[in-house]
Amino acid sequence: METLEIFEEFSLYLKEMKSQGKKIIAFISHDNIPEELIDAAGFIPLRLIFAGNDELMDASHDYLPPSTCAFAQTCIGLFALKPRHFNFLDLVDYFIVSNHCVSDICASEVICKYFNIPRLNFYISYMRNPNSEKYFRLEVSNFRKNLEEIRNGPISDDMIIESIKKYNEFRKVIKDINNLDIKGSIKLKLMQKAFLFGPNILPELRDFIASNENSISNNSKSIDLLLTGCSIFMNDTLIDLIEEGGGNIVFFDTWIGYNYYSQQFKESTYNHVKNPIDLLASRYINNAYSDHSVPNFLENRITHIEEIYRNYEAKTGKRLGIINHIIKFCDHMSLMSSFFKNNLQEKGIKVLNVERDYSRANRGQLSTRIEAYLEMIQSE
Amino acid sequence: MSLIADEIIRFSSVLKIAYNFLTGRAYLKRKKFRENEKLVSVALPFSDLPFAAGTVPVFPIRMHIFNVNQYLSYLGTASNIFGWKGVSNFLGFVKNLGISEVSKIVDDIIEDVIQEINEKYNEMYDIGIEGGLSSDFCYGLKSLVGMHISKSRNVDAYMNITIRCSAFNKYLESLSAINNKPRPIWIDIPPRNIGNALELLTDNISHALGDFESLTGNTISDNMLRNHFKISNQVKESYKTIIYDISASDFYPCNPATFSEIMSLLNITFQDYNSNAVRYRDNMNSLVKEMRERIRKGIGMDVSGMPRIFVTPMFGGWEPKIHDYIYELGGRALYADWGLLKLLEEIPTSPRNNPVEEYARFLLNATETGIGCDNDKLTDSYLRMAKELDADGIVFIQLFGCHSISNCYRMLRDKVRKELEIPITAITFNKIGENIEQVKTRIGAFMEMF
Repeated sequence: METLEIFEEFSLYLKEMKSQGKKIIAFISHDNIPEELIDAAGFIPLRLIFAGNDELMDASHDYLPPSTCAFAQTCIGLFALKPRHFNFLDLVDYFIVSNHCVSDICASEVICKYFNIPRLNFYISYMRNPNSEKYFRLEVSNFRKNLEEIRNGPISDDMIIESIKKYNEFRKVIKDINNLDIKGSIKLKLMQKAFLFGPNILPELRDFIASNENSISNNSKSIDLLLTGCSIFMNDTLIDLIEEGGGNIVFFDTWIGYNYYSQQFKESTYNHVKNPIDLLASRYINNAYSDHSVPNFLENRITHIEEIYRNYEAKTGKRLGIINHIIKFCDHMSLMSSFFKNNLQEKGIKVLNVERDYSRANRGQLSTRIEAYLEMIQSE
Repeated sequence: MSLIADEIIRFSSVLKIAYNFLTGRAYLKRKKFRENEKLVSVALPFSDLPFAAGTVPVFPIRMHIFNVNQYLSYLGTASNIFGWKGVSNFLGFVKNLGISEVSKIVDDIIEDVIQEINEKYNEMYDIGIEGGLSSDFCYGLKSLVGMHISKSRNVDAYMNITIRCSAFNKYLESLSAINNKPRPIWIDIPPRNIGNALELLTDNISHALGDFESLTGNTISDNMLRNHFKISNQVKESYKTIIYDISASDFYPCNPATFSEIMSLLNITFQDYNSNAVRYRDNMNSLVKEMRERIRKGIGMDVSGMPRIFVTPMFGGWEPKIHDYIYELGGRALYADWGLLKLLEEIPTSPRNNPVEEYARFLLNATETGIGCDNDKLTDSYLRMAKELDADGIVFIQLFGCHSISNCYRMLRDKVRKELEIPITAITFNKIGENIEQVKTRIGAFMEMF
């Protein structure tokens, strides 16, 4: 299914949900928003996971300077221009202002203020330690109260636990998709669609897995890659450039991918939980690979990628290429990129830092860089 | 530049602060190697805990060698004998003689101080980029990275306090990638004051104090904290007097360009008090006294007809020529970043209070009502400050690559137009000395509105 068709389908889906009286709660995609609470409230979480283009980025410059993260620019641009396939953004009832990064705050505030969408605040600490876990619990409780006010009724613990179970199952299925031996672009498109629709499309995802779990990809000639850094969002041509150059992403170490599905709870945990808020807070503290946190993000990420690389080499006898995708002006990924690359290269792992925005003009340059990197990997 | 030199030399306290800034390297070497004290790098005005812990906070650029004008070196030596006041009086006397060559030497001293600081900042910026930092980040971060690449080997610890800027927080993390020998001492400030956030921050600060104790091997008592807070409160009181009383008045103790130059020197040095809190407090007290004395005697300038232009933010990098241009065009530039961000608030030191909790309250208050966890709060801070300064206009420095403060400009502009009804303009900034003509043109256009 093409991306634009997915948007059409999603638009219909949201309209249907709205007609049932459900509120749409949008947010700039990140890994610490407790989507289970939104679901438990009977609302629909809408992650903004859409890639940009020149027009969308330009449209944001009335509000933020061009030296803002290209993804944040895009999110604003979508609300400013409302392109035809994004009419569903008119259905958004609330927008979450959060501080995954400062561009997240700025863009979310702009969207609320200038496009008249009521805001919900959800802030998180910058460190991961016992006190930040306690703080996270405060914010989750506060967020729950806000949602209860909107729905005009309580959200019981049982309702939250049910949603946690549902999303836990969803994460498991996303993991299964990531593990399928299929072309990276197909895998990505499916995960992106899943991120939009949430657990409601579990049957479709399960059917897909069932019909593809024994398939072996015809990608023996392609160069296997791990994608880390920023996610590839919907309607982005980056993955096409990679595949056209002869690469195939076999592991998505990004929000859309490992970072999401790795945050599963063991069933034994939630079956005995007394307070579901504690459970959500424990996920925050266990989220070791969140790019939001300091001080061990770089160290954890390098250890993690080296482990995947070594395991893959041991299992397949092949070396993984590492593409570190950096959306232009991304604080989290860009500032550490040279340390990240140097550190892994010292361990004999070749890394390509791909820093780019969504302008069409850089497509040729991107393609050349990716091809050169893939040739280098192949010649080893 | 002599318009500045003519004035600055009259303030012995300014000479002292400038001299202590530029000769920091020798002072720090003595502290580290002779007195065996621990150096702790700081950025932004977060030097309180390092001071209270008995370590030496240092804004890392001060570990560099500055090409101190040889005459300033002589003056530094002379001050050991005659005192800085005597040196200042002597310089004023020499200037008044009207001997052009001697006068030029004096001009050169001051010009060199300003020029040298700016050049060193730009040098740090270049080192930051050469060290691998993307040029997409703001001037402040690039300079800070450059400072640590070049000098972190000399420090024993990093004072890492998280703020709303995600790039700054990642920069703090990256310090250990630049050099993993200094101990990182972290304090995480909760983004909002909800629930028991104050208690959590108090606990975070207690942990940081534990780290300082491990670093020095000494226990930090409540009284040590209170004693330092008393000193820093006095520094802040002087600073606030200069911002709110003197800069807001209609008679300045010097011309407005000189005044701005002094304010920019204070803005830089306030971050680490030139590594000596008592000395800095004394200099700040002297500065206030000198300013008041001149005003009392009617020495200075009537600025009542000059529009007050609030220039902000400057702490992440700004073009120092701006205040000269504003002055040349009949205005006066006001700098007040630390007050705006609520970092000049005093910390209660009563023996009845827990000083750790008081420091937590200070940081949380700055986060909540100064820096703000979002741009809505931050822009309110700009409005508050502009009102307090009775500003006639605002020049907003829009730093290239700043994703935090600079991003609030649109919202700020809308609020200023609606609530203050004063002119506001944005000046883009990347590096000191770049696009200087463009800056001049924009300031010129802006000043025509008054």
